[in-house]
Amino acid sequence: MRHHRQDTIAAYLFLLPFLLLLTIFFGYATVRAIYFSFTDYDLFTTPNWVGLRNYIDLFADPLFLSALRNSVLFAIIVTTIQTFLALVMASVLNQKVRGIGFFRAAFFMPSVTSSVVITLIFLWMFQRRGLFNYLTHQFQSAAPLIATFVALLVVFQVAQVAWERTRRLPATWFDPALFVVSLLIAGGGTWLLHVTGVVSARELPPVDFIWLQTRATIPAGAPFWLSVPIPLAAIMIQNIFTTVPTFMLMFLAGLQDVPKSHYEAASLDGASAAQQFFHITIPSVRPVTFLVLTLSMIGTLQMFDQVAIFGDAAPLRSMVTLAYFVYNRMFPGAQTPEVGFAAAGAIFLALFTLTVVLIQRRIVRSEAI
Amino acid sequence: MATARGLSFPDDTTHLEPRAFERWQARRRWARAGLIYVVMLAFAIIFIGPLLFATVSSIKTDPLEYPPSLVIPQLQSANWSAAARLGVAGAGDRWFGGFAPGAVVPFEITYFVRDGVEVTTPDVVVPRRRPGAGPGAVLAMDFAADYASVSETVISRRQPTVVEVGETTVAGELVTFAFTITYEGDGPRTDRLPLDVTADLGMTYVESTLTASRLERRGRTASFENAAPGLFGYVLRNYVRVFNEVRTPATRQSLFAVWIGNSFVFAFFRIIITLVIASMAGYALARLRFRGRELIFMLVLFAQMVPLQVLFISNYLVLRDGIISIDGFKLSALWGYPDGMLNSLTGLLFVTALNAGAVFIMKQFFESIPREVEEAAMIDGASHWRRYWSVVLPMARPALGALTIITFQAAWNDFFWPFIVLTSPETMKTLPIGLLSFRNIYGGVGDWGLILAGAVLSALPVIILFIVFQRYFLEGVSFGGGKE
Repeated sequence: MRHHRQDTIAAYLFLLPFLLLLTIFFGYATVRAIYFSFTDYDLFTTPNWVGLRNYIDLFADPLFLSALRNSVLFAIIVTTIQTFLALVMASVLNQKVRGIGFFRAAFFMPSVTSSVVITLIFLWMFQRRGLFNYLTHQFQSAAPLIATFVALLVVFQVAQVAWERTRRLPATWFDPALFVVSLLIAGGGTWLLHVTGVVSARELPPVDFIWLQTRATIPAGAPFWLSVPIPLAAIMIQNIFTTVPTFMLMFLAGLQDVPKSHYEAASLDGASAAQQFFHITIPSVRPVTFLVLTLSMIGTLQMFDQVAIFGDAAPLRSMVTLAYFVYNRMFPGAQTPEVGFAAAGAIFLALFTLTVVLIQRRIVRSEAI
Repeated sequence: MATARGLSFPDDTTHLEPRAFERWQARRRWARAGLIYVVMLAFAIIFIGPLLFATVSSIKTDPLEYPPSLVIPQLQSANWSAAARLGVAGAGDRWFGGFAPGAVVPFEITYFVRDGVEVTTPDVVVPRRRPGAGPGAVLAMDFAADYASVSETVISRRQPTVVEVGETTVAGELVTFAFTITYEGDGPRTDRLPLDVTADLGMTYVESTLTASRLERRGRTASFENAAPGLFGYVLRNYVRVFNEVRTPATRQSLFAVWIGNSFVFAFFRIIITLVIASMAGYALARLRFRGRELIFMLVLFAQMVPLQVLFISNYLVLRDGIISIDGFKLSALWGYPDGMLNSLTGLLFVTALNAGAVFIMKQFFESIPREVEEAAMIDGASHWRRYWSVVLPMARPALGALTIITFQAAWNDFFWPFIVLTSPETMKTLPIGLLSFRNIYGGVGDWGLILAGAVLSALPVIILFIVFQRYFLEGVSFGGGKE
């Protein structure tokens, strides 16, 4: 294609502000970060070239190792759970029903508010006598009632399906009409057993699980690389909660393109709901799955806000991530900033993210063949 | 007996008549739809639940009360009218109350006194209690205690009653005591009129003109944050505190109001900058053919992938040095920042102005407008600037609108850059990092009412925007999901 000179001049004039910003705040910044990572710069003195020392020192630094462990576990666990939950929820909700717009908006609400607002609310719910411990306590106390309810539900559902089948009706184990009846009977039955005093809630002391001010890990006493600190688990719960709706909507958009006839044909062939999920739903949303996995990996590996907002509410080692490690070395409070060291951490984070995304891409691609 | 295999083919296995079978299937469809609504409702409760629960709890005196209760005195209409009445009595202000010269505040409090216990009049004190734990408590202020005088307490009603304590019943009587609090002489108006009423052993608080904020010593002591609150001062006490309690020591400006202002200014200019830069760059990339176009587009994509942690080190230094510093002279002095641009909204706007994602969106949009449309509206020989300004830009209104909303949300919620750039003084901060100051000040002492109220207020603009312009938020997500 011929390039008109005038076009070129006009184009660069249009692009001038953007290119200026790109040069200073992206190009120069990246180059400088790479340069600093090979020096002992500390904000005040002239940087001296130290070669690869910063990168080697990283792997001897306990805070960095904690950060690496936390980031990796956080990324793997959160990505797995939130992708799976989002996909399951999307396939449950993939229905043409009235009022879906309202529900979509409701699910999306936590995702539009700022990380600070959501994190502060969760921080409040994770207090020793906060909502999480209260609900856990309620659940434990009501466990006998819940168990009764589930048992009744299963018994009545099985009985009803068996009865329908003896009448030679093609009822499946999860037949919705029978399920509604079973729900009502199980609810009523549990209530009856409760008021007659056969089954009652347990009297338990309040749950005082410590979510924040603790160095304990799950599972307790596991090797360093496999133990999830409890404050980090709290951040995981919050992160899953805020991200699942976004990914669910992405899956929903993908699922809407799958022709309904696929499912109809499959159920005529006698495929169960689970078989349909694994053999139709999952393969047909593969491109969306790749996007979701990538976004989730990048987002979780670079998690920063929650750690900064938790601040002194939890021990640093129990929640520090790679992204926060970089910040912490750049602005270490009363100590001297270790800019070179911070830069090495930042470059490591960038390369690590890139590698993970590339590997994941390869795995998803090879599965597709 | 039917076999499991055969069940899949209703037509030849069922012995129901076709119409009965039709009804059987219809019943299944209805049940299915019902169950789906139940599931969706459950999800909705899970996802909005924390926000709603936080909002409701933000009006409680103590949002950490255990067990958390949804029976909240602030939501009872009897307390609303009492709060307004007391506000008028205290300062002639039914909305925000207070304690001003000339005030005569009548108050009644009822105790249960069990039989055999001598009825004694409780001790009424207006304490010198400082509000909260934050800077508000440190600021020099006037205390209602210095001007209030409490009248003699008289018994206004007695009524025998029986109460049940577990399995047993206890006989006694309900005794109502009345007193008035008067503002003695002349003096300043105070915002609050705290009150403590302590009765002797064997007496238990039952009710009062306004429900007590706290009960201590097994219900003997009833403590009131404000006995003349006014309607808002009572129901939205934490919200009033958010604005009133945290002020700058020097000018006594409300910090929260300053933060809201900063956030709006930041969002406004960031939107303008993004729209201008992204639409110009997007136009050039979509419509003009020039050397280096592919390279620049690659950079646009690449710039979105590099973590902020790589960029902030240098960008922080660039702001500190005022872009470039030569022999102590900082370039930013040219536009009024001789000491560099850290801790300024201008500096924040500089580092956040690079928005490759916005350029990408505008480029995609311009490419979706057919070239013919542009050429049809064209006057021959017009410059590129006129094409851009008078033909393409007016056509891009929907995209610019969507970009405005997305950018507002990004700016309003932005945490990372303000956290790095705006560290002091407090008056320089935007809302999200201001809230973090709240958490540091009040979270440690467990005073969550104020933090939650601040969080709810700061979430409000984006939530309103989301409800009104839902389409733009959700389309962005679906767009991401639809593409390869």
